[in-house]
Amino acid sequence: MAPSSSSGLTFKLHPLVMLNISDHFTRVKTQLNPPASSCATGNNPSTGDATTLTQDFRVYGCVIGAQKGRTVEIFNSFELLLDPTTDTLDRSFLEKKQELYQKVFPNYYILGWYSTGSDANESDMSIHKALMDINESPVYVLLNPAINHAQKDLPVTIYESEFHVIDGIPQPIFVNASYTIETVEAERISVDHVAHLKPSDGGSAATQLAAHLTGIHSAIKMLNSRIRVLHQYLGAMQKGDIPCDNSLLRQVASLLRSLPAAQSEKFEEDFLMEYNDKLLMSYLAMITNCTSNMNEVVDKFNTAYERNSRRGGRTPFM
Amino acid sequence: MNTAEALIASIQGLSATSGDLSALHSVLKKAEDSLRNNGDVQLATLEELDPSIHSLGYLYILEALTRGTVSSKGVVLLMARFINSCDAGQIRLAREKFVSLCKRFKDRVLELKDPLLGVAPLLSAVRKVQVSAKCLTALHPDCLQLCLQAKCYKAGLSILSDDILEVDQPRDFYLYCYYGGMICIGLKRFQKASELLYNVVTAPMFQLNAIALEAYKKYILVTLIHSGQFSGSLPKCASTAAQRHLKSGCMPYYEVGNRYNDGKISELEAVVVAHSSDFENDNNLGLVKQAVASLYKRNILRLTQKYLTLSLQDIANMVQLAYAKEAEMHVLQMIQEGQIHALINQKDGMVRFLEDPEQYKTSEMIEVMDSVIQRTIGLSKNLFAMDESLPCDPLYLGKVGRERQRFDFGDDFDTVPQKFSM
Repeated sequence: MAPSSSSGLTFKLHPLVMLNISDHFTRVKTQLNPPASSCATGNNPSTGDATTLTQDFRVYGCVIGAQKGRTVEIFNSFELLLDPTTDTLDRSFLEKKQELYQKVFPNYYILGWYSTGSDANESDMSIHKALMDINESPVYVLLNPAINHAQKDLPVTIYESEFHVIDGIPQPIFVNASYTIETVEAERISVDHVAHLKPSDGGSAATQLAAHLTGIHSAIKMLNSRIRVLHQYLGAMQKGDIPCDNSLLRQVASLLRSLPAAQSEKFEEDFLMEYNDKLLMSYLAMITNCTSNMNEVVDKFNTAYERNSRRGGRTPFM
Repeated sequence: MNTAEALIASIQGLSATSGDLSALHSVLKKAEDSLRNNGDVQLATLEELDPSIHSLGYLYILEALTRGTVSSKGVVLLMARFINSCDAGQIRLAREKFVSLCKRFKDRVLELKDPLLGVAPLLSAVRKVQVSAKCLTALHPDCLQLCLQAKCYKAGLSILSDDILEVDQPRDFYLYCYYGGMICIGLKRFQKASELLYNVVTAPMFQLNAIALEAYKKYILVTLIHSGQFSGSLPKCASTAAQRHLKSGCMPYYEVGNRYNDGKISELEAVVVAHSSDFENDNNLGLVKQAVASLYKRNILRLTQKYLTLSLQDIANMVQLAYAKEAEMHVLQMIQEGQIHALINQKDGMVRFLEDPEQYKTSEMIEVMDSVIQRTIGLSKNLFAMDESLPCDPLYLGKVGRERQRFDFGDDFDTVPQKFSM
């Protein structure tokens, strides 16, 4: 495994990059072997014969962003074709794209490149070296497209190159770099949208309401569990099981102060009133439902068991 | 006798699994006649059997033994013990026998003038015979009758709290609702009592029966006490037989109701005195007196709609009470029961009527609403199940098919067959 980087740079990755890479990969995969059964979004990797192909092909592209001091922020990415004969990225296309992007985003320049796969291997080093004339220390973003449900973290790794002395010869090798995710409001909305892909028929109001409520429910559940963890941690710290960490305490205090106050009396009153209003509305809805059911039952009952037979015509019973 | 011993042996042997039980059941059915005629089968033979394990056999033997008119307390106690401890699964195989045994038990208990003895066994018997919580069994009215005689109303209330959805015999239903209404009157739960009695009055019936008549009399009085109104006409959903005949049997009660509507205490009391013999005969005199007392309450309630404040003396005058003290007592009682909201200022004897302070924003209200919503959801499910089952009824399909036959748009519609051959 690659050792950790010692360059001291902080990397910030935007979700847009990850979305782009995964979209690129999915698109190419779907084009290579179109799914037999129609799957509209085509996001799920088809099992069986496609798994062999999953690892066989890789997609490549460039990442662009800006570096301010020791912080490297990767904003965007675009795709590139790998020339199979020379095993290098298409240089002319890259430069053309770079010019175009320079016009729109004058601050951004090429920071490195990306690819898909499970691990960085030796052939990647040649591509990496080729990019070194544009950026003296490019980054290599690697996305692992295999879906592993047990894995909780993002399957994205960022590699840097460092010169280490191996067998007496200084060679560049890939080293792991840590990164954080940085979002802009627009990105948050788009990620949210992608995460909740709705059924294609748009759904009636009921399913939309249900989906919305499920989303809120899961969000609140997650918030609750995280706060519980914090609570446990603070309790342990108070008892003395864990050594006091003041910086952490400060962070927790600021976090709690940002949560809305939930203990005041006015809040209780308003909350109860709104809760009761909602309950009353559901009660009303239930009663309406019951009365309509009752109406159906009575209609059918009257048709079946009425003693007087109908005389004359009657509207057709549907 | 050999047959008796053989029977005992087979009972003891075959009471284990369900396969054995059905075999035992057929054996017992065949042996029933011999049991009846066999003089040797005595109570002593029952000692060898355990009621909770050998319930089926015990039931048959006990039923054969008690066929006669002997009713000693020992036998009755034995029956009580059996009913309490028998196994529900085995009993369900011979339901009619068990029901007749329980009815006999009830009669004996009433003869012995000790209804309290029979309340607990019959309560457990009802639960054991019931297939599901929505079915009405023949034992329900018996159990309620014993509760009434023994005056332990709370026990009866536990049975009444089930929602009944399926009824086999209409007579069971009438009796159940009638006795249930009486139990609720005894517990002063007039809302539930009026619902139950309303069920009897509007139940489908082809001819007038005595139960409905008595129930209607009580219904009039209970509605007077509970809601303070009397309408001379029966609800529209009552059967035609009821609508034609019920009124003629209840003339004194109609007069009471009409006088109540007028609102004058003195006239009401005059009517009550005039017909008191009728009320005595129907055992309704206590209820009538309660109705008279409730007239005061109704009048005071009407005052709250007209005035914001009143003095106690004025209240007494308007309601035709003798003293202001009595008025204060009535108002106080009504405030405690929650019927009105008011403040009594004892210094100047003024009463100030208030609005209902319930804002529906407390957490207790949440629990009330939640339970109510759950009940409604259950009701909706039941209605939906009924809705699904009705179109499968051949009567319904026959009628619908007949309708569609009238519209012969060429050969577009297939006529629904009138009869279904299975």
